Amino acid sequence: MRIQKMTAALIALGLAATGATACGGDSSAASGTLKIGLLASLSGTYQAIGTDIRDGFQLYLNMHGGQLGGHPVELVVADEGDGAPTAVPAATDLVKKHKVVALTGVVGGGSAAAIQPVLGQAKIPFIGSNARPVLKDVTYNWVTSYLSQETGAAIAQYVKDNVKGEVYAIGPDYQGGWDQLQGFTDAFAKAGGKLANDDGKTLFTPFPATKNFTPYFAKIKASGATAVYTFYAGAAAIDFVKQYSQSEVKGLPLYAAGFLTEGGVLNAQGPAARDVYSVLNYSPDLDNAQNREFVAAWKADHDGPPTTYAMASFDAAAVLDKAIGAAGESPTAESINNAIAGLGQIESPRGAWQFSKKTHSPVQKWYLRQVRPDGRALSNTVVGDLATVGE
Amino acid sequence: MGELDPYLIPALDGVAYGLLLFVVAAGLVLSFGVAGILNLAHGTLYAIGAYVAAWLADGGWAAVPLALVAGVVAAAAAGTALAGLLTPVRRGDHLTQALLTFGLALAGGSLLVSAFGPDDLPVRVPAALDRPIDLAGHSYAAYRLVFIVVAAVIAVGLYLAVTRTRAGMLVRAAVDDPQMVACLGVNPTRVRVGVLAVSGALAGLAGVLGAPIIGPGPTTAATVLLLSLVVVVLGGLNSVGGTLLAALAVGEIQTLGVALLPTAAPFLLYAAMALILAARAQGLLRRWSTA
Repeated sequence: MRIQKMTAALIALGLAATGATACGGDSSAASGTLKIGLLASLSGTYQAIGTDIRDGFQLYLNMHGGQLGGHPVELVVADEGDGAPTAVPAATDLVKKHKVVALTGVVGGGSAAAIQPVLGQAKIPFIGSNARPVLKDVTYNWVTSYLSQETGAAIAQYVKDNVKGEVYAIGPDYQGGWDQLQGFTDAFAKAGGKLANDDGKTLFTPFPATKNFTPYFAKIKASGATAVYTFYAGAAAIDFVKQYSQSEVKGLPLYAAGFLTEGGVLNAQGPAARDVYSVLNYSPDLDNAQNREFVAAWKADHDGPPTTYAMASFDAAAVLDKAIGAAGESPTAESINNAIAGLGQIESPRGAWQFSKKTHSPVQKWYLRQVRPDGRALSNTVVGDLATVGE
Repeated sequence: MGELDPYLIPALDGVAYGLLLFVVAAGLVLSFGVAGILNLAHGTLYAIGAYVAAWLADGGWAAVPLALVAGVVAAAAAGTALAGLLTPVRRGDHLTQALLTFGLALAGGSLLVSAFGPDDLPVRVPAALDRPIDLAGHSYAAYRLVFIVVAAVIAVGLYLAVTRTRAGMLVRAAVDDPQMVACLGVNPTRVRVGVLAVSGALAGLAGVLGAPIIGPGPTTAATVLLLSLVVVVLGGLNSVGGTLLAALAVGEIQTLGVALLPTAAPFLLYAAMALILAARAQGLLRRWSTA
C-alpha cells in the first residue's frame, strides 16, 4: 500500500506544474510619457536570460537619460515565467491595463507564439529580443536576435572546409533544438558535408531530462566521427561540455551554436569548455566603438561581460529609440510600427545590421568564436568572421 | 568483446549513477519506511549538500573534508527542522505530509536560488581527480571512478549499520511494529527526529559527493527527488538490498539502456518502471531483515 502511495506521489509530482508569479508594476504614467512593456523570464528555468534581457534594455535607457526618440519612457516590466501559462496573462496585463505602445523581450518561443493573439488584437509592435516562432504574418513582429535556423547555417561551410571526415550532429529534443540543428544539417549537406550519424539524421536527446550524456558519447565514438556539432543551452550545456571534456570523444573538435558557452554557463563549465568553437552573432570582444561603450557600461554594474541576450535587448531599445524619433510629434503604436519598417542600418555592438523586409529579423554577420583564457577567466574570443545571413 | 566494447563505459557509468541514487534513495526509504513520513523535500536536502560543495570546494584536498562535514551537517539540520515542522501532522497522514514537504521544497528551492543565484554552479574537484583516465582503451572521468568506490563503501556501511547495530535493530523494529517499539520504552518522537536527521545526512552526503555528477542548480532538487522516488517505488521499502538493486537498475537504464536504444530514451525509465510494477507490485525485493 505504501508503494501505491509512493507511486501516486510520483505521479502527482509529475503533474504539479510549478506555478510562477507574474509581477507587474502599477503606476500611472506622467503626461507625454510613453509606456513600453518588457516581458521576460524573471523566474523559472530561463531566469538568467530574462534578467539579461531586462538589464540590456534598462542599460540603454540609463545611457540615454531615460528617453527614447526624445520622449521620456516608462518601462513596465512583467514576468514571462516558464512559458505560455504565465506569459499570456502578463502580456494581456501590459497591453490592456498598462496600455503600452510597444512590447519587447520574451525569452521562449512558446511564449512568443502564445501572446500573438493578444498583440494582434491591440495592433502594437512587438520587438522581440530572443526567440522567434514561425509566424504567418510578421507585420507587427520584429526580432533583434536571429532566426533559429540561421546559427547553424552560418557555420556549416566553415565546418565542411575545416573538418576532414564525417561530423556527428546531436541536440536537444524540442522545437528550438530541431530548428537549430536543422539549420546546420541542411546547410552542411548543401555544402557537400556528410553526417556520421547512424541513418544520416541528427540524434536528439530528451529535453530537459538528459543529465548524463555518457551513453551518447559512446554512440559518437562508435560512429567514427571526426568532429561534433551541437546546440545546447543552460543547464544541459553545462552537463554536456563538462562530460564531453572527460569522455571517450574528448579528442574530437567540438563545434556548437554559441549558446553552448554563452553567459553564466561558461563559468560553470570552467576549463572543460576550453577550445570549444562556436558560432554567434555577438562576442563581447568585438572591436567597434558601440561595443566598447556597451561593454564598459555593462561591466560598471555586472560581474561578467554582456551576453548576446543583453545585446539583443539593448538593440531592441536602440530600434525603438530610432523609430519613436521618426514617428512624429505624438507617436502611436501604428506610427512606431511604420517607422520601424523604414529604419535603415542600425549601428550596434555586434556591428551594423538591418531588418529583413521579408522576415523582420536581422540581416547580420555571424562570428566564429573559441573559448580561450582571458586573464584569469575564460571567454569567447572572436577568431574569425563567418557568413552574413538573412534575406 | 568487440561488439560489447562501445557499451563498457555506459555500463560503468550506470554503476556510478546507480550508487549515487542509492545513497539519496536510502534516506528517502528511511524516512518513509521507518518514520512514516513522505518527504517530498528530500531532493532539496540533496541540493543543500550540492550547493555547499559548490560553495566550499576550491579544487584543493583540504576543502573536501570541510565540504563533507558542512554539507552533511547542514542537510541533517534541515532534516531535523523538517521533523519539527511535521510534529503536528498525524503519523500516516501522507497527503498533509506531501503537501507540507512539497511546499517546503518549493520555498527551500527559492531560498537556495536567491542565496546562490539562478545559474547552475560549477563544482571544483581536486585537480588529480578532474581529468579523464584510461580504462581498457577507453577514457572515463577519474572522479566518477573514485566516486564508485566511495559510494560502494557507504552502501556496505549502511547495510552493516542496519543489520548489525542496535540503532539498526531499532530501525527494523520500528518498520515491523512501531507500537511494540513504543511499548518497549523507546520514544517515537526521538526515533522520528533521529531518522529524519540521518535521512537528511544521507541526502547531504550524496549532495556533496554527487555535486560533480548532478550539480547544484534550480532544477537539481526536482530531478533528484523524481529519480529517488522511482528507486523507492521499484525497490520497495523493506530492504537495503532492494533499494540498491533498484538504484543500480535505474542507473543502468539511464546509461546503458539509452546507449542501446537512444530513440526510446524519453520513456525508457518509466516503461521499465511500469513493467516491473506490473510484474511485481511489491518492488524488487521484500524485507530489510532479509537483505
